[in-house]
Amino acid sequence: MSTYKIPVGPQHPAIKEAFQFNFELDGEIIVNVKPRLGFVHRGIEKGMELRSWVQGIYLSERICGICNVPHTTCYCIAVEKLHDVDVPKRAQYLRIIINELNRIHSHLLWLGVLGMELGFLTFYMYVWRDRERVMDLVELISGNRVTPSMNFIGGVVYDITPKMEMAIKKGMDYLEERTKYYKSVVLNEPTIKVRTENIGVLNKSAATDLCAVGPVARASDLKTDVRFDDPYSSYDEIPFNLVTYSYCDVFARVLVRVDEVLESINIIRECLDKLPSGPIMKKLKRTPPPGESTVRVEAPRGELMYYVKSDGKENPYRVKIRTPTLANIPAVCEMLKGYHIADIPAIIASIDPCYCCTERILFIDKARNKRWIWSHSQLRKYSLEWYENGGRR
Amino acid sequence: MRMGGDGELADPIISLIQILIFPGLIFLFILGLIFEWIDRKVFARFQNRIGPLYTGPRGFLQPLADFIKLLTKEDVTPRYVDKFLFNLLPGIAPVLPVFASFYLPLNGYPILHPFEGDLILIITLMTIYTIIVFMAGWVSTNRFSSIGAARAILQFLGFEIPMFISLASVAIDSASLSITYIADHQPIPYILLQPLGFIIFLIALQAELERVPFDIPEAESEIVAGWLTEYSGPKLAFFRLSNNLMLVFGAGLTTAIFLGGGSGPILPPIIWYLIKMVFVVILSTILRTVFARLRIDQVLSGAWRYLIPLAILQLILAKFLAVLVM
Repeated sequence: MSTYKIPVGPQHPAIKEAFQFNFELDGEIIVNVKPRLGFVHRGIEKGMELRSWVQGIYLSERICGICNVPHTTCYCIAVEKLHDVDVPKRAQYLRIIINELNRIHSHLLWLGVLGMELGFLTFYMYVWRDRERVMDLVELISGNRVTPSMNFIGGVVYDITPKMEMAIKKGMDYLEERTKYYKSVVLNEPTIKVRTENIGVLNKSAATDLCAVGPVARASDLKTDVRFDDPYSSYDEIPFNLVTYSYCDVFARVLVRVDEVLESINIIRECLDKLPSGPIMKKLKRTPPPGESTVRVEAPRGELMYYVKSDGKENPYRVKIRTPTLANIPAVCEMLKGYHIADIPAIIASIDPCYCCTERILFIDKARNKRWIWSHSQLRKYSLEWYENGGRR
Repeated sequence: MRMGGDGELADPIISLIQILIFPGLIFLFILGLIFEWIDRKVFARFQNRIGPLYTGPRGFLQPLADFIKLLTKEDVTPRYVDKFLFNLLPGIAPVLPVFASFYLPLNGYPILHPFEGDLILIITLMTIYTIIVFMAGWVSTNRFSSIGAARAILQFLGFEIPMFISLASVAIDSASLSITYIADHQPIPYILLQPLGFIIFLIALQAELERVPFDIPEAESEIVAGWLTEYSGPKLAFFRLSNNLMLVFGAGLTTAIFLGGGSGPILPPIIWYLIKMVFVVILSTILRTVFARLRIDQVLSGAWRYLIPLAILQLILAKFLAVLVM
């Protein structure tokens, strides 16, 4: 029996960014998958080293368009750890609010994308219409729809006034009603169910072995959430439920995310009720003292990790970023095996991939057992030479 | 011959006008564009969007603009395709629905002289259309096109049979294989006499037209554009046109078989015929709005497990009905 190969990506409607999965198929059934990264490497980590500590916030915000808030939160907390200070309580609560608004926006966006991948355009249009409401709230707080630039080293930039509080609460009521409706659609619409149930199964032990993170892990019944396990920014003072499902398939991942939206809405309400008074910012020195820190936060896609090292100078000595999508790629390759071509979009979408945040460059030469990392200028030199030589190997 | 036609040769100039302008080529072409506009607009309104808006009043001319835009694009023939067929098939595809539409009694009487058995001819033309779709994908030698072509054939295996059985049950009931005769001899439209057959026919038509939930051969997020992947520019324009003409033909056939053709009070038959066709198009758009795309194996098992038994049940009921009427 012969198999054949199809490339999905770097340009393919199922994958919105430049990423490649090489599929080995037997008829319509997937036998093997090989992922290939590295199409959109942007040299962000090197760029961090070339910028000052404050400029780093705005660069980290641009790593990912959708989950930009966790990135800045994580970076700011890491730098504050170097300073060894706690930010004011009000700032911590405001950080939770903006993080959860971002999570709602990200999960609703994902729900719409899933609808599109399943060919259910009506669902996609409706979900994205309601997602506008979250963006309006973010705009109300910060003046920007997508990238609020809310976090700063030592606190947050924008405060929430009582008037905004009312608007957010009203928005939350609307979103809760709509999200509950979408949950009933997902639970009752037969064509969504047949396309997601028992598709892309990743059982609990496989999820543990392949280090799945975030909603993917929680849909495989793993109780893992940084907000619970390693609370940051006063998450331990807010009661909320950890959503897990034991179906282990795409359907479970949908339900986890929809339920997380509902949880986020409750977290925001709780935060607004408990919002302490006081300053929102603590003034810190321009450069942190020498040292290193590692911080984890729960981004909408899963665990996000920053490692920051300072040598007491104007710029960070090293910033290492590990994004959730990278952690989930081994898991998605395992999920795809044995399913149909038609399931590819739904399964890949089920990890909520965000490839451009994933791209880092590390070379491993297996034959010579050697690993090395290229700097920005080396990479640039290599790329220029490569294109001068006709762009072929 | 059971037909009521007087058998005389019509005036050749009138025949030419009928074939070329009304209700022939140009009329069908315009109707295809109008139906695309209705489909897009209704689809958009169901999704809380506005739809085409800028070209012409309420975006009325948008399908025409799209067609012209595609015609002006570069005509690409990839290196490894079968060049002859690759260039020929987009030209053949629109001919089939047009030819088939000539047997529909659009204006009370079809353009080509109807005969006992033109229903079978039309079924043959629809089958050939599916084969053209398959060949168009196959000669592209693209992996996505090949998958799309294989899916088109698989889907065809699932849906042509229930569709033809539901047509057969109408034919048995009216004791004729002529579309015009069936359309003219419906004291009660068959949609009321054979509602089950109508639903089966509508679902199968949705599959024939490759619309959601059966747009599997060109499933965008899975296999790029399926069998259409390699076609661009004017060739794509002609395939899109042929798809629009298939929609016109499909709606026209449904109207003739199940909705009593152009019969109706006061208004002339052509107006009634158009109203009923628009009704069918909107029904098809609603189906497109409320479902997600299914998978090919789910579609096939659904077709063989539910549609075909139901179609056969309808056939048996139609036989009883025919006996009762006699």
